[in-house]
Amino acid sequence: MTEQDLVFSLRQGEESAFRELVIQFQDKVFNTALGLLQHHTVAEDIAQEVFIQVFRSIQHFKSESLLSTWIYRITVTKSLDHLRSKKRKKRFGFLSNLWGDDNKPVYEPEDFNHPGVLQENKEDAAILFKMIATLPENQRTAFILNKVEELSYREIAAILNTTEPAVDSLLQRAKQNLRKKLNELPP
Amino acid sequence: MKNKYSQERVQSIIESLGGLRPAAAPDFFYTRLKAKMQPEEEMKTFFILRPAFITAMLSVFLIVNIFSLAIIKKEQKQPASLQIDNPATIESFAKAYDLNAESVYE
Repeated sequence: MTEQDLVFSLRQGEESAFRELVIQFQDKVFNTALGLLQHHTVAEDIAQEVFIQVFRSIQHFKSESLLSTWIYRITVTKSLDHLRSKKRKKRFGFLSNLWGDDNKPVYEPEDFNHPGVLQENKEDAAILFKMIATLPENQRTAFILNKVEELSYREIAAILNTTEPAVDSLLQRAKQNLRKKLNELPP
Repeated sequence: MKNKYSQERVQSIIESLGGLRPAAAPDFFYTRLKAKMQPEEEMKTFFILRPAFITAMLSVFLIVNIFSLAIIKKEQKQPASLQIDNPATIESFAKAYDLNAESVYE
C-alpha cells in the first residue's frame, strides 16, 4: 500500500489501515519518545497518544510533507509537552503537596538505560542521557533524532521545520554543550 | 574544581550512542492502543444516556416551558383595548392600513 492509499484509507476510517499505520510506525514513534523522555512506561503512553492524535486529525494532514515527517513532528511535540508539564508540576510540587494532589510521585529518571545501547557502552550512555536531558529543547530534539533515531539532516530539518544548515548548527552546539557539561561535572 | 573525566573519557561518553539499535515498541502495543481508544468511543456513544446530560436537558426543557407559559399568561391578562393596539396583531395591522372589508371593495 502506498502512502497516498494509506492516507486515503485512514480518512475513510478503515481499521485495517490504522492497524497497518501503527505496525509501520510504532517502533519509530516509541524509539523517538523513549530517547526524549528516558522512561519506558511514559514513552509507551506518549506513543499511544501520538497514534490517537494521528487517528483523530488525519483529515487535517496536508500531503505537502511525508506522513512519517508529520508523525515524527507529533511525537516530538507530545514528548516535549509532557516534559514541560512535568517541569511545571515539579515547580509547583510544593503547592500540590499542600493540597494533597493524590501524592503521586513525579518520576525522576535515575540512570536511564536505552535497550539498544551496546553492552560495553552502557555506563557511558547512561551518563550521556543524563546530560542530554539538560540540553535546550531544540538541541536535545535534533541530537536524539540524529543519534538515537539515525535520521538524516534533511529529515530532521523537515520535522523541525528548519533548514539543514540550522540542524547542523544545532548538533554542533549540542555536542559543545555536552562536552562543557561533562567537563564541569564535579569529581 | 577538578574535572572528573579525562578528555578521552569525555569523547568516549559523547560517542557512546554509536552502534545503537533502535528500541522496539513493547509487545501487544496495538492491542493496548485499541483498549485505550475504546473507552473514548464508548463515552461518545453513551454520552446522551448519562444522568448529568439527561438532567441538564430536562432542566432546560422545564425552564423553556415555564417561561413560555408565563408569557402566554401575561398576554391573556392584558385588557382587550391593549390587545387590539398591539402592533403585532392582525387587527391592529388592518386598522393601521385601513384594510377593513369596505375599504377593499371601494
